[in-house]
Amino acid sequence: MKKTLTVNLGGSVFNIDEDAYELLDKYLTNLRIHFRKEEGSDEIMNDFESRISELLGERKRLGYEVINIGHVEDVIKRMGSPEEIFEEGNPHAEKDIPLEEEGDETGKKKKKRLMRDSEDRILGGVASGIAAYLNIDPTAVRLALILLLFIPYIPVVIPYLILWLVMPLAQTATDRLIMRGKSVNLQNIGKSVTDGFEKTSAQINDYISSDKPRTTLQKFADFLVTFVGVLLKVFAIIIGIILLPVLVLVIFVLFIVIFALFAGGAGALIGTLPFIGPEINFITAVPTYLTVLGSIGAILLLGIPVIALIYLLCGKIFKLSPMPNPAKWILLGLWIVSLILCLVYAYHVGYPPHWGHIDWLPWSII
Amino acid sequence: MNAENVKSQMRKGALEYCILLLLKKEPAYTSDIIQKLQEAKLIVVEGTLYPLLTRLKNSELLAYQWVESTQGPPRKYYQLTEKGEDFLKELEISWQELNETIAHIKQVNP
Repeated sequence: MKKTLTVNLGGSVFNIDEDAYELLDKYLTNLRIHFRKEEGSDEIMNDFESRISELLGERKRLGYEVINIGHVEDVIKRMGSPEEIFEEGNPHAEKDIPLEEEGDETGKKKKKRLMRDSEDRILGGVASGIAAYLNIDPTAVRLALILLLFIPYIPVVIPYLILWLVMPLAQTATDRLIMRGKSVNLQNIGKSVTDGFEKTSAQINDYISSDKPRTTLQKFADFLVTFVGVLLKVFAIIIGIILLPVLVLVIFVLFIVIFALFAGGAGALIGTLPFIGPEINFITAVPTYLTVLGSIGAILLLGIPVIALIYLLCGKIFKLSPMPNPAKWILLGLWIVSLILCLVYAYHVGYPPHWGHIDWLPWSII
Repeated sequence: MNAENVKSQMRKGALEYCILLLLKKEPAYTSDIIQKLQEAKLIVVEGTLYPLLTRLKNSELLAYQWVESTQGPPRKYYQLTEKGEDFLKELEISWQELNETIAHIKQVNP
């Protein structure tokens, strides 16, 4: 015994087996995704539907009361799979080139992103997001989290909440593909839809998030996180406003220091450093080039975090785009180099041959 | 370089031209166009044609009207527009040129 459904396809009514319906529905959904960017996609889909209706109608006339999965398979074979249709019908498409006329930059990214999975969540979807990122079973991550909860001195709740705030929610099929590190192309979106990652009944054309019915717990937790997020944002803006004059001052001082370094050489610089009085004139104990390098190091060591902080604050306040990754790496590299420079300098300054052992100097330089 | 690939590219390139040619003499139902193209082995699956016809219609080379058929609901009945006829003339000239070029090359390098 099989359950059947009644469908209206291209103006005709059909009784169709449930599995046959699923197949046909997936097929039409895939086609709709294929043609969604094309002008007149609705008309194309109507053509498909009325033709399929015609073909199935022939079966009906042959005496089949119910359309079964074999009939649907025959029809699909005759109409062609989305790949075949696209391959054959588009004279400008080259073979074996994945379709990436998506226009948006996500089309080319194969990079994985840490995102929360909206379709597979108990609280925020953090665990499933981590699992997708690490390519492991979400249940394993959840178990590990729960186990960690019982181990004292490991504050697992705080990082979880932070991750919840920081990780974006993967809402669309495209998001979920990025989350899994799969390339975003039509085949994959189609696959992800047919795999049931996304509810196909929702408006496929614009990939609006498929809002699964959520439990009260999830709703409450979502509300809490949104609330805390807004609070944090307000807090960050206030801090930013308070800190801004200070930061401007710091930058100003840094400029003076740099200017002093170029104008007056290292000797002048030592005088400007607040924590080293001019009375300690150890400059003679160290080679000049080292002093210059050390000073540059010190400026970078202080300056890079300050600039990074300013950039971050400005970004939050004025909604700037985040710093590009290469820039971040270069800054980090520079900072490490400057740290090494400072340490080397401090070591030389701290232990000049005729001064013997001085403990505090290296720290005061850094 | 794959011979199948090149052959299918050639077929694809000629597809629009052939559709316009088919409709030059008389208007036709979509199913008739599909049948003729399949007989000529220009397309394998039917689905190829619907987006193509819609594209040609949107470029105003073709137009259709809904015509009652013997069985079932009304179906699209496609015909060439004036713009389509001009377009076809252009295509015929360039097809002619292509043929002549190939014939010439064959003649020069037998």
